[in-house]
Order: sequence, then structure tokens, then C-alpha cells
Amino acid sequence: MYLPRYRIKTEEIARAWKRDPKNAVQSLGIREKTAPGPHEDSFTMAFEAGRQAIDTAKIQSSEISALFVGSESHPYAVKPTSGMLAAALAIHPFSHCADLEFACKAGTAGMQIVDSFVRSGQIHYGLAIGTDTAQAKPGDPLEYTAAAGAAAVILGRDKAKGALCRIDETLSFTTDTPDFWRANGQPFPSHAGRFTGEPGYFAHVRETLKGILTMKKCMPADIDHLVLHMPNAKFPQKIAKEFGFTPKQLQQGFIVPTIGNTYSACALIGLTHVLQKAKKNEIILLVSYGSGAGSDAFLMTMLRDGIPLSPPQSPQYLSYSEYRQQIPTSL
Amino acid sequence: MPPNTPPIVSRLHRRHGEKLQQGVIISYTHIAQPYSRTIGLIQLSDGTKVLAPLLGPNPSIGQNVSPRMYLSEVAGSGLRVYNIAYEILVEKAIPHPISPSFPGYILALTGPSGVGKSTISRLLTTMCSDFLVPVPILTTRKPKKGDDGEYRYVSKKTFVKLQKKGEIISFAQIPSSEEKRWYGYCAHDIEHLWTKGMLPVVITEMHLLQGLAGHYGRRSILSLGLLPPGRSKRSMLSHLLHRLRSRGRDSEKSIADRIKNAEADLQFFRERQDLFDRIVVNNNLNAVVDLVQQYTRQQLRDSP
Amino acid sequence: MQKDVFVIGSGQTRFGEWWDKSLHNLMQEAFDAAIDSSPCTALDIDMVIVANMLGELTNNQAHLGALASSLLPHQPPALRVEAACASGSIALHTACAMLESGRAETVAILGAEKMTDCSADEISNALMGAADSERDQPSGLTFPGIFGLIAKRYMHEFGLTRSQLNLVSARHHAHACENPYAQFRNAIAPGDVENSPSVAEPLHVLDCSPVSDGAAACILSTKHKSPVRLAASQIASDSLSITERSSLTSFLATKTAAENAFTEASVTNDDIRCIELHDCFSIAALINLEDLGFSEAGRGIEWYIEENPLITINGSGGLKACGHPVAATGIKQVNDIARKLMESKERFGLAQNFGGACATCGIHILEYAA
Repeated sequence: MYLPRYRIKTEEIARAWKRDPKNAVQSLGIREKTAPGPHEDSFTMAFEAGRQAIDTAKIQSSEISALFVGSESHPYAVKPTSGMLAAALAIHPFSHCADLEFACKAGTAGMQIVDSFVRSGQIHYGLAIGTDTAQAKPGDPLEYTAAAGAAAVILGRDKAKGALCRIDETLSFTTDTPDFWRANGQPFPSHAGRFTGEPGYFAHVRETLKGILTMKKCMPADIDHLVLHMPNAKFPQKIAKEFGFTPKQLQQGFIVPTIGNTYSACALIGLTHVLQKAKKNEIILLVSYGSGAGSDAFLMTMLRDGIPLSPPQSPQYLSYSEYRQQIPTSL
Repeated sequence: MPPNTPPIVSRLHRRHGEKLQQGVIISYTHIAQPYSRTIGLIQLSDGTKVLAPLLGPNPSIGQNVSPRMYLSEVAGSGLRVYNIAYEILVEKAIPHPISPSFPGYILALTGPSGVGKSTISRLLTTMCSDFLVPVPILTTRKPKKGDDGEYRYVSKKTFVKLQKKGEIISFAQIPSSEEKRWYGYCAHDIEHLWTKGMLPVVITEMHLLQGLAGHYGRRSILSLGLLPPGRSKRSMLSHLLHRLRSRGRDSEKSIADRIKNAEADLQFFRERQDLFDRIVVNNNLNAVVDLVQQYTRQQLRDSP
Repeated sequence: MQKDVFVIGSGQTRFGEWWDKSLHNLMQEAFDAAIDSSPCTALDIDMVIVANMLGELTNNQAHLGALASSLLPHQPPALRVEAACASGSIALHTACAMLESGRAETVAILGAEKMTDCSADEISNALMGAADSERDQPSGLTFPGIFGLIAKRYMHEFGLTRSQLNLVSARHHAHACENPYAQFRNAIAPGDVENSPSVAEPLHVLDCSPVSDGAAACILSTKHKSPVRLAASQIASDSLSITERSSLTSFLATKTAAENAFTEASVTNDDIRCIELHDCFSIAALINLEDLGFSEAGRGIEWYIEENPLITINGSGGLKACGHPVAATGIKQVNDIARKLMESKERFGLAQNFGGACATCGIHILEYAA
């Protein structure tokens, strides 16, 4: 995975808009979030995450023959990020590549596609990446949570040497729900306020959670690690509680308080944190959510103990004006 | 910035792969206008140097850096231009095997078959046995008449096992019309010499040399290329042919293979001059041995 | 030298910002001054060689040989040469070849540059053409940046301090006070240099030669004689990109050209009494003195700490204070040495001119014999 080194604290943003900093932190449950550096974009971050994935998988990059990348902030409207990544990461020239968009679940959608390429025997290894430099209008509540980051997973046959974790089941649920959108040419997204809650996030995550647990005849207690999409701290905590999950099950993947919502990378970054800490035979349940709307769920089993990734760069904190100058106001 | 038309940007992007290496800062500068940035001259681990943006606080000469994908600019047309920048690593430097007298160097003699590498190596290690020690090449081929202790013979299975354990740090498959043969160097064979304060000498060819440079870093290799006498490629090859025949070690078929490889070796000298510190023509054995001795002693004296 | 080549005329415009003058105007002015100072008329010129680097970029003007030829009534054969900031010296070198071979007996060499018709950014970009377009430019480096890297490395290797480096530009400005052709005729204090805005750390504005318009002309002849002859004309090359150099603090092209020039003229460093060296940036002056053999490595600054009364360095003010219309410099340097030798009646002088990060170096040694 890759996170930019820059951070901005929720209190700093609140103070800039003359709001109560303590209240802001408490209501969102987020202390700070990441901000992209002046020379970073969804491609550069996806590249770094992909490179780390290839290094940790200990395979040659040329063994990878599929790459699907999901984002809401692809560098170009037309010119695929997947093509740029395929060349930069030096994966096999004969590769299946495409860019995806499905709000915050584009990364996990990519994971499902690569999963099916592997299962059908068409490829040995594939890369699924979620990456975003999320934007929010200055002064809008989204400004506190919209963050930047990327995560990459390499999928292969479960008999492959060094396999870390096996995907046992995957399920998706899709509707047409106008909770969050960005029109062509608009620099910032629009959202529907409280409508994004119950009809948006909760309805879809609930259906998908129910669906996958029923399908596999699982109980929440059977799950060792739960990773959910985290648009803020409250939503995932609430739905977890509703299903009877404990805070301990949510803990390893609950990265939003210090990272913010990295959109298409969010659930995958949560998963990356879990994969570093989980032990052999533990069960992981991941449920992502993308506005518009839909949810992807994965039930996974660890095949060996997790491996830690190299420690991140030490964070550099920005003032609000530095933050606004540094991030591009349009893609 | 140079013109950023699509073909120019495409060529730039294609060269990214070469620059994805760790490196060391040789020098750097902060430029103020039109916007503040830091540019460094970085020496990469294969010995090549690049100019690139430097990221991270407080750069200093001699610091280690790591490559990062970097958005340089967005052209007026909207085309995005990416470069490899280098980020200052805050952790400690890449460990380098240090011995009391020799800071992890390897003397490598590269050249086509028949140019006289083994002869030179034998003379050197005999005359300078106090600090020069030959390193055997691991090979899967069968011992042959005429082999003189340069090789260590292992089965294909053992070779593969050692590879898997990561103990073989440079290897190549050198094809011949007779059989597929593997060659390589064992890390232990080289590194244990360092702990004894000795300088390993390897007789090698282009693939193995690249592997060594890639593993230990280009600067660890005192790299000498040996050329046969002759002004043109044709006359060089005919010198080699003559030597191989009078050596009496190889069959005609094997000689034909070696000459074919020799052409590729000569090409390699031209294309990869960066991998060689000196190219020496072997037309007078004693002169060459003296030269190599002198060169080696000088390099070690002058090393930082 | 295979023949005696005499400097029979020289002239230049003042260097500076000439909003009202075009390349054509500048060349005319310099040429007229050179002809006036010579025993010839324009009709005696067999050939014109033009030195120019940026014509296409600043004025969409290539084909400067033809333009220069039209300055003379009989329109002699003409050509243009380019080697970035070394264009002037290589034009002189080309002229020598034409004279020594007998293809011409009297050649006019014109160096001209018009740099103020573009914005500062455009010029900055254009000057990077003196470096490697594929290897150096994409990094975002500027030309001062290249010498910033060099200066930083020099300070690292030899311990040169910022205060010491200040002395270089201060000395050059002091000399320019007496030069009516200089762009800047004001003295500056050493402290002013490091207090000027930073350009490419550790270099500041006053460490860097300016953007200038100007032209210089020189007339060389094997037919007409003068007390000043060219004792040596040598050019040498090095890799274009600094990424391919083994050292950042010494320039091989200068060393090679100097060695060959001293051999050609049968002189040593001890014979030279005046020097015009290529101080595109203050640090370059120090490196040049070392590469030319006037100082050991790392000790070039000694020439600026204590001025040597016997040997004049950059009496014109150098590139920093006199100005640096890129291609005019090499020619103006030779003109200045010729003039100095005539005045002082000293015997030998040396002009060193280089292009880019000394990827091309041109050295001329002049001899005065009454």
C-alpha cells in the first residue's frame, strides 16, 4: 500500500472554518487524514503500492498478466491508468487491463475481476489496485474525511508458493441510489447529506453482510477480522454493532481515524493492515461500499501468518493554507 | 522543460525502468524560480548517474535515496509527464560487507573465450597470493580435460537448490550446441574471502558480470575487460580462433560455439562500457599481468 | 598554427539590454567597429563566420551566415557555427582553419546574441539546450542549477566557503568599472553577492552572469599583419551531460584544450600575463583557473583572495560584469586580450571559452610582438 507523507489534523480544518475543533473530532471520530504531495496523483500512488505488492509477493513482475485499477480520481478522463501502470510496473505485455469506477468500491470490484481471471485459469497472477486523491469542496463536511492513498493486492492460485490468504467466497449487491455523485467536468462531488446514511451505506452493507453470512452459513462470531468501508468512524462502527460484531473484530482494519477516507483504496488499505497482523487459519470478512450504489463482500482465510510491510515515512503535518495550496483543486 | 510532445514523453516514460534503483546523492541544489524544488545528481547502484528531483527534508551529499514515481508536470495539452524522483531514506545505510583491509571489492576479468583470462588469473593469484584469491565458478556441466580448478562441479539439482536458498548471487545459462549449462557464483565463496581480508578474483562473462554488479553494486567491482589483439572485429576473432585451436582443449564444434559467443562478448564491451573500468588488450601476457597488479593495488589504495 | 594569423581588427557593442536593437543592428555595429579599427575595408573580407546560439528560439532567425554576409557590400561567403556558449571560440577556430588552408586570407568573425526579446522563462528554458535534452532537462534542472550542483560538490570536496566565493564576482565587477563596454560598471561588495536572491543553492543572483544583448567582431588575416598574432587555437570536447562525468569539480575539455594550446604555442602557464576566462558562474572561474593549470585543485580561490599584480584575470569584468551575450563572449574575450597586450606590451595572453557544463572548450593564446 502507499500513503502520502502529508497529514492534516481535523482540528486544523475546523479552526480554519471557525468551527469547534473538539466537536469536529468527536462527531467524525477522525483525528487526521492524509493529503497528496504536490507531485503525486492516483497513478504515482498506485505505482508505489503495486511495486510494494510485487516486492512482497516475491514474484517477477512479468508473471502478472492482469491489472485492474479502480479510482474516482484517475489522472485522465480518457487514457487508462491501468495501461500506464502496466508499463511502469513492467507486467507481462500480454495482459488484461482496464480502469474501473464505482465510487469507493472500484478497488474491490477490481479484486473480484482479477479473482475470476485466476479462477478461470486465464492468468497465473493478477494485480488489483484501488487508488484515490479524493477531493472535497472547501468548507464542505467531506473536507474532513476526503483523503489520499493506494492499496494493491496480487491474486494467484491458492497453491501458489507464498500464498498469504485465500478468497473463499465473494458476493456483490447493486442498486441505483443517488447518494453521492460528481458530474462530468465538476471538480468536486455532491452528496445527499443524511440520505447517504440509511438508504446509502447502511442498506447496501447490511444486505451484503447478511447475504454472505447466509451463503456460507457463518455467524459473526466466526469472523476474526471485519474490514468495512470507512467513510467516517461512526458508520462502520454502527453497522458492525448491529450485526453483533465486537470492536475487537473491527480493530485491525479500522484505519479511518488516522488516515481518513481514501475512497477506492479505503477498504483495501484496511485489508492490508489486517493481512500484516492476522494469523494462519483466521477468517477475514471484507465488505466495501461504493456510492451509486453497491457493495462487494469477500470471505477469506489466512493460509499463513501475516507479514509486516516496511514502516511508512514519518508524517509531515500541514497547516490549512498549506493543505489548500498543495492539493490540486481539480483532477 | 524540454518540449513535451507525445513521442518525447513516451520515450521518457520508457526509460523509467532503468532508474528504479537505490542510489547515493553526489550533489544537489535548491532552485528558487519559477517554483521551489530540489534537484540531485544521484549515483545509482549499477554505477550510472541520473539527475532527478530530490524528495524529503535536509538532503546531504552521501545520503542514500530510494526511487519514487513523480508527477513532473501537466503539459498545456493535458498530457501528464512523469519522472522518477529520489526520496531520502531515513533509515541506516545499506549494509556493505566490511573487512579490515578490503571494503568488499571483487576483481573481475571479463572477456571472450580464448582471450587468456584463466592464464592471467592464475598468474595473478600465484604472484599475489597474499591478497588475491580466485573464486570458483559453480557449474552444472561435466568436468572436461583441460579444466584447471576454475570450476566447482555440482549437479543441476544442487544448483537449483542453492539458487532457491538465495546462495547463488549471480547465475547464467550459457547455451551451447551440446547441452544447456548453468554457471554461477556462490555468495559464500566471495564473502568469506572478505572476512579473511582477501580480494576475490573472478573470471567471468557478461551475464555473470551483470549479476555481480547488480548484487554487490557496480562500485564493488574492479572490472577489467580483456580484448584479444587485433584492430578490427574480424582480426580479433581470428586471433581468438587461433588461440582456441592451439589450446587443444575444445572440440571444433565447441570452438565454433565459443567464437559465436565471442562476437556477442565484443558487442557487449561496446554497449556496456559502464560495466568496465578498463579495457586491456592481451597481446603480451607479462605486461598485462603487471598492469592488472598495478591497477588493483592503486584502486585499493585510492578507495574511500 | 600552420600560418601566422594576425588579429587585425576588433570591435564590439556595449553589452546590455538593447530593446531598440535587433540581431542585425548589433552585428552591424560590432562589424563596423572592427573594420574601423583595422587597416582594411569591408571589401577585403573574404569570408564571414557567425557565432550564435539562440537565434532560432529568440527571433525565429536561423541562417545567420546569410544575414551577416548582407552587411557587406560584396556579400562574401558566410556560415554560422554553434557550440552553446563556446560558439565564439569555435567560430575563431573555424576561421583559423579557413585561413591556414588558404581558402580565405581575411576573415571576419561575428558573435551576436539577442536575449531580451523573450521572457525570462523562455530564455531559461532555451539555455538548457546547452545541456542534454533527454538526460538533464526532464529533471526540472535549469542552467544555474547545473552549476549549483557543481558549486555544492566543490564546496564539499575542497571546503570552499560562501564568503570566499563572494570575492569572485566582487573582483570581476571592480574590473568592469574601467570597461566602457561592460553591462555593469558598478562595484559591488563581497557581502552583496550572498545577500542577493538565491538562484540555485549555493549560487545567488550575483554569482551568475546576466542575460545580455550584444555583439563582438574580430578580423583575422594571413595577408595583413599586426603586432598581435594567434599563437594557438584549440577546441576540445567532453560529454554533454554531467551524469557521464567522473568529476563535477574539474572539466576535462578545458584541460585537454589547454594542454594542446600550450604545446601549440610553445609556452607554459608562467608565460601568460593576461587571462579572460569563462565565468558563466563564479564557481566556474575557480575551476577554470585550476583546469588551466594556474592553480592546484581546490586552490583557485587564492587568486581572488590576493590579487596578483602581474597577471590580470578577467580585466574586462568577465562574463559576470561585462555581460554574456552567449555567442559573442568567445570573440570579445580574444578582442580584450589583444587590446590588453597592445596596451601593456606584454607578450602572451590566453582566452578560455566554454559551452554548457564545459562540454566544448575553446582556448586561444595570443602573442604580441612589437
